Amino acid sequence: MLTNRRKDAWIAAVLVAPFLAIYLLVFVWPTIQMFGISFTNAPLIGSGDWVGTENYERLASDPRFRTAAWNTAYFVILTVLPGTVVALLIALGVARLKGRLQSGILALFFLPYILPVSVVYLIWDWVLNFQFGILMHVLDLFGMDRIPIMKTREWFMPAVGVVTIWWTAGFSILLFLAGLRSIPPEIYEAAALDNAGRWTTFRRITWPLLWPVTSLVFTIQLIAQLKIFDQVYLFSQGGRPNDNMVLVYYVFQRAFQQDQGGRAAAVAVTLFVLVVVVSVLQFQLLRMAGGRK
Amino acid sequence: MTISGMLKAAIVATIGFAGVARAEETVVWWDFLGGGDGVRMKKLIDDFNAAHAGQVKIDATTLEWGTPFYAKVQTSAAVGEAPDIMTYHASRIPLAVQQGVLQEITADDWTAMGLSQADFAPAIWDAVTIDGKQYAVPLDTHPIVLYYNKDLLEKAGMLDENGKPKGLDSREGFTATLQALKDSGVTFPLGSVTADGNFMFRTIYSLVGQQGGELMTDGEFLAGDNGEKLANALGVLAEWTTAGLQSTYTDYPATVALFTSGEAAMMINGVWEVPTMTDLAAQGKLFNWGAVELPVIFDKPATYADSHTFAIPANQGKEMTPERRAAVLTAISWISKNSLYWATAGHIPAYGPVTDSAEYKAMEPNATYSSLTANMIFDPKSPLAGVAGPIFDVMSTYFVPTVNGEMDPAEAVEMIREELNAL
Repeated sequence: MLTNRRKDAWIAAVLVAPFLAIYLLVFVWPTIQMFGISFTNAPLIGSGDWVGTENYERLASDPRFRTAAWNTAYFVILTVLPGTVVALLIALGVARLKGRLQSGILALFFLPYILPVSVVYLIWDWVLNFQFGILMHVLDLFGMDRIPIMKTREWFMPAVGVVTIWWTAGFSILLFLAGLRSIPPEIYEAAALDNAGRWTTFRRITWPLLWPVTSLVFTIQLIAQLKIFDQVYLFSQGGRPNDNMVLVYYVFQRAFQQDQGGRAAAVAVTLFVLVVVVSVLQFQLLRMAGGRK
Repeated sequence: MTISGMLKAAIVATIGFAGVARAEETVVWWDFLGGGDGVRMKKLIDDFNAAHAGQVKIDATTLEWGTPFYAKVQTSAAVGEAPDIMTYHASRIPLAVQQGVLQEITADDWTAMGLSQADFAPAIWDAVTIDGKQYAVPLDTHPIVLYYNKDLLEKAGMLDENGKPKGLDSREGFTATLQALKDSGVTFPLGSVTADGNFMFRTIYSLVGQQGGELMTDGEFLAGDNGEKLANALGVLAEWTTAGLQSTYTDYPATVALFTSGEAAMMINGVWEVPTMTDLAAQGKLFNWGAVELPVIFDKPATYADSHTFAIPANQGKEMTPERRAAVLTAISWISKNSLYWATAGHIPAYGPVTDSAEYKAMEPNATYSSLTANMIFDPKSPLAGVAGPIFDVMSTYFVPTVNGEMDPAEAVEMIREELNAL
């Protein structure tokens, strides 16, 4: 069939144009402005005076920025790898089931994912609340001391990590399942004929063939968890937000609570650069690791 | 014509007809009154609307208290989408004026409302005044008080002949009362919002005031022995925690629940929880209760208070019509003059003639704790002050570990001073 290249290009441009226009207007343009604001002393609303790199220099000696950066890194460590592993294990389990049972179990694991974060917060507050939480009554039952989980530094991040994995694992499980289903059954049959054990089958067939999905899940998780905000904001409400500070929360606090748009923008730019660098690095690393096999 | 187009036309037509027929001015109203006091404000608004049918109608929306409210006000005023009238904390007025969020309440406005400086207490008038100009109309003052469970205190033998808790006059006396309650089997003699540094600010600032201390002198934070006074205040609370006399790591809702369920015998909280108690008591779901001025732990009585006020946002690029402004002033004036009902929400009305009235003086529990009005202290007048503001925020960070026994008070004061002066 003959195609008209020029016409194709024209149609493509028309189809892409609405998206491109919106993308430029509500994403690229504000991003450029954010870079500009980060070099000024602007309040939340309105413009400010040029202050050079002062906002960035202050970050180096800002204890709260350090807390935020450390907590964000800690949260990423607590959730990205464990979250991926948990999702993979559950997906492997669900893949062994058949028919309605499989759909039923899958739905159960997927259910938390469709909950809005405010509902997630309420559910877990009912469980973990120091005075009235269900878990506290369980601890009482075993004669153990109650733990103010969301009110102490040591417990806060691990607890939010568990809640986040519980909340978001459903989506990763779905990706893994799709990956598992795309592995042709003939390969497994061949392996069975060759008397391969379960572990060997997993290591030699499932794992390498699933690798593209694994690295995708890993990358999605990494970017999402670097941007952690909602859970930390909700769970530290009426508590100690400054001890549980994470980077996006710090942007919010500087901008909306302290009316310092310029300093908030500097934090946001730092986070932006961090996300870009980390995700590019990580994707390259994973690709190299995958390519070696 | 599309369906939405027709709908729009219909709405425009309806509003147009209504406008022609009655010339009713709709006043858009935002507040942050989400608790028991919010219910009472809605009633006041309904009464206002009924009394001004055909002339002025308040269209009210309640938003989330604190940072969400103030961030929304600031951003919407900047694009001309703010309401015509809103509630505002007096403690946040210095910041609001700096941000250019508020319109001045002019001399003509005061005349139009039939209100004047003479109707308000000097401290409250001062709180809404910046550089000799007023930026809001005070509605109330809302201090914190000590709520107590009469049944539990009586059981512990700690109720005096007037039905008030014993030991309100000294640190030793009050600690003894708490200990007696503990000995009588009460789980938490004192319910405190120990998980929330923002809230603890009110209690701790009161205790600093009881020693004559000040947060800010000549633009410097915690100068001289003010730091020591803050450490003393923190020390008392930490001591109660160590002795097991106070609920630890308790957030706001849990504190109220501990008190209303009888697990905590006393509670330090804002007067805005009065409606919670009266409503529960009316349903027969509460014990005998009372509320008194905070105990004098140090040298003299002092209680932290803030004020709810009415303010008119400075909408950028959108001039308010004279008719609309008149309607707004009518609303403020009417609610101020009818704020006796607002007192049932626990607050102390700011409008003098109301608090001077015989009806107000007979109102309970307001009458019992009204003695504190002579001892009220307000936030320092600074753009950094105010509920959910930077000072609140810095201090709260260190209050939580200290009052729960994780951190030494002196160390906390050092950190607070450093961070505040770096703001």
